[in-house]
Amino acid sequence: MGLSRREFIKRTAALTAASYAGLSLPISNEDYSAHASDADSWHKGTCRLCGSGCRLELEVKNGKAVALRGIPQSRTNMGYLCMKGMLFYKLMGNNHPERLKKPLYRARKDQPFREISWDRALDIASKEFAKTVKKYGNNSVAYYGSGQAFTEETYIFQKVMRGGLKTNNVEGNPRLCMASAVGGYVTSFGADEPIGSYSNFERASCFFIIGSNTAEAHPVLFRRIMRRKMDNKDTVKVINADPRVSPTSRIADLHLQFAPGTDLALLNAMAYVILEDKLYNEDFLKNYADFRMGKKKKKVSLQKYMAFIKDYTPEKVARICGGNITADKIRKAALWFAKSEGTMSLWTMGINQRSRGVWANNLIHNLHILTGQLCRPGADSFSLTGQPNACGGVREGGGLCHILPAHRLVKKNKLRHQVERLWGIPEGRIPPKPGYHTMAMFEAVNEGKIKAIWINCTSPAQSLPNCDKYRKGMRREDVFIVVSDIFPTKTTELANLILPTAFIFEKTGVYGCTERRSQLTVKAVNAPGEAKPEVWMVREWALRLSKELNDPVIKKCVEPFMGKEPDYELPKAIWEEYTQKLTKGRDNDLSGATYEVLEKLPDGVQWPAPTKQWALKGGTDIKFVRGLDPLADKYAKNDLPYQFYGPAHPDRKLWIWLRPQKGPAEMPDSKYPFYLSTGRIIDHWHTSSMTGRIIELMRANPYAYVEVNPKDAERLGIKPGDMIEVVSRRGRNILPAKVYVGPCEGMVFVYWHDEDENRMINRVTKDAFDPGSKEPEFKICACRIKRVSGPRPLKPFLVHMKA
Amino acid sequence: MAFEKTLKSPVTTNVLRPPGAVNELLFPSKCIRCGRCVEVCPYGSIRPLDIHAGIFTGTPLIHVTDIPCYLCMKCVEVCPTGTLRPITQQETKMGLAVINKHACITWNGELALCRTCYNICPFKETAIKLDELRPVVIDKYCTGCGLCVHGCQVTQENGKKAINVEPIYAYRRRAIANE
Ligand code: SF4
Ligand code: SF4
Ligand code: SF4
Ligand code: SF4
Repeated sequence: MGLSRREFIKRTAALTAASYAGLSLPISNEDYSAHASDADSWHKGTCRLCGSGCRLELEVKNGKAVALRGIPQSRTNMGYLCMKGMLFYKLMGNNHPERLKKPLYRARKDQPFREISWDRALDIASKEFAKTVKKYGNNSVAYYGSGQAFTEETYIFQKVMRGGLKTNNVEGNPRLCMASAVGGYVTSFGADEPIGSYSNFERASCFFIIGSNTAEAHPVLFRRIMRRKMDNKDTVKVINADPRVSPTSRIADLHLQFAPGTDLALLNAMAYVILEDKLYNEDFLKNYADFRMGKKKKKVSLQKYMAFIKDYTPEKVARICGGNITADKIRKAALWFAKSEGTMSLWTMGINQRSRGVWANNLIHNLHILTGQLCRPGADSFSLTGQPNACGGVREGGGLCHILPAHRLVKKNKLRHQVERLWGIPEGRIPPKPGYHTMAMFEAVNEGKIKAIWINCTSPAQSLPNCDKYRKGMRREDVFIVVSDIFPTKTTELANLILPTAFIFEKTGVYGCTERRSQLTVKAVNAPGEAKPEVWMVREWALRLSKELNDPVIKKCVEPFMGKEPDYELPKAIWEEYTQKLTKGRDNDLSGATYEVLEKLPDGVQWPAPTKQWALKGGTDIKFVRGLDPLADKYAKNDLPYQFYGPAHPDRKLWIWLRPQKGPAEMPDSKYPFYLSTGRIIDHWHTSSMTGRIIELMRANPYAYVEVNPKDAERLGIKPGDMIEVVSRRGRNILPAKVYVGPCEGMVFVYWHDEDENRMINRVTKDAFDPGSKEPEFKICACRIKRVSGPRPLKPFLVHMKA
Repeated sequence: MAFEKTLKSPVTTNVLRPPGAVNELLFPSKCIRCGRCVEVCPYGSIRPLDIHAGIFTGTPLIHVTDIPCYLCMKCVEVCPTGTLRPITQQETKMGLAVINKHACITWNGELALCRTCYNICPFKETAIKLDELRPVVIDKYCTGCGLCVHGCQVTQENGKKAINVEPIYAYRRRAIANE
């Protein structure tokens, strides 16, 4: 009885222009329903609109992308997709009229853009970078990339920057979302990225979801969690800890609504209960754990840890946490956590985007180490990743200023020289000092220390916290900005040179999602106009740079990729070099996951995958377990079933950290009495430059609003739809109110997708960051709110290219 | 035929009277076509019926697929005749949202997850809830504002959405909630 897919597509296409009255959307007049019943072909690929890594197939008809559907055999999504995943074919090829199609240039930022040829564009990009290097030194240039770029792209960019231009100024937006998770995994487990996989969703009997609105941010994964809960209503417990009641909270047995910034205390209190009630796993602790504290990572005893945790009695912490937290609730949560057959913790930005994000990560891991809730079925400390390739491209591919490909630290001489050797470039070519991290990078732009920057596939002008401050720097006429992207954004507005890139399915490359899984998407349709894959741009740019700077080593960096056709052969050669040379022998060994293997599988390969044979089985489901992880067997030092061979802990132990409660960088006060938090909504992705251009998605959420707790609304005389001014020490927004029991009293929530200057919440957020991970505290700052008027008609807004 | 047309109420699926409207049988005689509600609506939700609408000409209507009602309650305050009675947001009953489970992509097992209607409803969790991620409308609290209809991702060939507001209260004695 159900609708067929095709009927659905027809129906979405049947939206008439009339139904957009009041919405000035850039509507493509393409008739998506105009296709006969058979597809020319279906092409496997990965969804690009969140970190879940859903596998899907693109239907291509007469060279045109016409539909997307989930792949039922895929181990990530089992065929399900959310609406973003169903609809993004509308951005491909010539389906959307606003795609960037030609390189655009302007010498000064107050001039209009002119179309130029690729030849000229690459000349300008190389001349400007070369000139800057000659005049101001190698650290005056930078690359700022993305967790949405393919691994091949991040890899070649960072290779040319480090090996060619001799700078570690290589960063990317995962600094804004995943850096604290990296810090947490490395310091607690000695190795980045989760131990287990999504497969634990179906095996866990307790979910501890903290600081994640999984239902909106990872909807298809949430479906699996919900299924597990609904099919086992009495035996599977869900604990949700969040200052805001979100759609995720709806399936929770226990909702811990703590005041923003009291998370560390809450987690320590759970550890208190675990110790007090002897809920810890003595054998596990004896075999695998150690206690550490302080900057010097000093080893301490269990007794010392117990003495430390004494301060976090549930009664005291309940008072610190406020909200609806009681000592009983903390005890209950700790009990469920410790006693279940398998407890799986899940978190994202609520934990990572904190000025003590690494500590918060450590404290979640602590609970798992104490109770031994690791490595067995359903037991996992699992950080969900926001972007489709933050793990694969940036964390593994060397996309941050302090890491080289395959989890190598820049500052480790041995590892750095290893990379130089593998690249065949002179020793000492890569500088030993890490480059600027994201916030420092844009501060350096502000100060004029960085004079040329290439921003790829991301929009920092909107996504940086306190963005007005950093937009000032980007507006400087003495800072040359290259932006490569598919649509105009807030950042292309500040560029000198805009390079039109091919979109997913218009080029070939690998995405590595949350669960260490690498998945290949092969080109299926042509990019519109003259849009090109980034890998081609970087190769051609490097060749020119080599000439300009008279430096053959730059050329050497791209030599293995010369003459390759850019749509498939070139990314394949890059992937080969990266996996066969750089990951071989490392903990994220992907040498078995060749393009041939990836193309054979419906989904992809989870590393470690040291052989093709292993990769063809899908790779490693759970790390560190002998018999399940080939590296655990290879590196085994004793007879124990778990072997924590991660590169950062030579003692092969899991570290339980003594981390005290630390509040946010900015607390509400009499002038700014509210907490402001920001987040996502299911229908939009990041800065909405893509989802905003899909009519169905934009209609569903045409503009951002501010969620106000009904009690606060009543006190302040705020009615639904009233226009509310949200002001912080940094900036202000005016948004319509949504009065709703979401945020706790004294807190407001705004989603950050809107490109309208009045509704761009990062003008209000604070740019304080974690001293460890350098990840900013997007999730908490102080603001005040005021009703400025009754409801006003609002229009959705997108940045358009001025003709 | 022509005669019938001039007497037939224009109120139908997704075509509704503004909040607080009296019984549809009384509406054309009570409403003086002053256009104040049309003027005051900040969203442009209300349109006066044109000259071809027989005895209904000039009366206010909301086509929720075009622009739904945001429940700001301005129109009910300015109506001089009480044709739109001064009610509150919660009391509003312009109609009832009904989900077509065959058309809704979440209900019909398309392997797609959508809950736009749920997200967009001003009374999320009260007027509309999720049952295992599938939307269900709670008739007692649904105001018929049509925001869900407007946002719904599916448009059927007949122009209806997968969720539609049916004006089931239009002919009740007093179309006000909880009475
Ligand atoms: S859940 Fe994420 S990966 Fe899956 S379809 Fe939706 S946006 Fe794409
Ligand atoms: S309640 Fe407000 S939005 Fe709705 S029709 Fe009346 S004036 Fe327009
Ligand atoms: S269910 Fe639809 S019509 Fe009913 S109150 Fe919610 S948005 Fe309005
Ligand atoms: S918005 Fe429409 S398609 Fe989506 S869940 Fe609601 S009724 Fe179904």
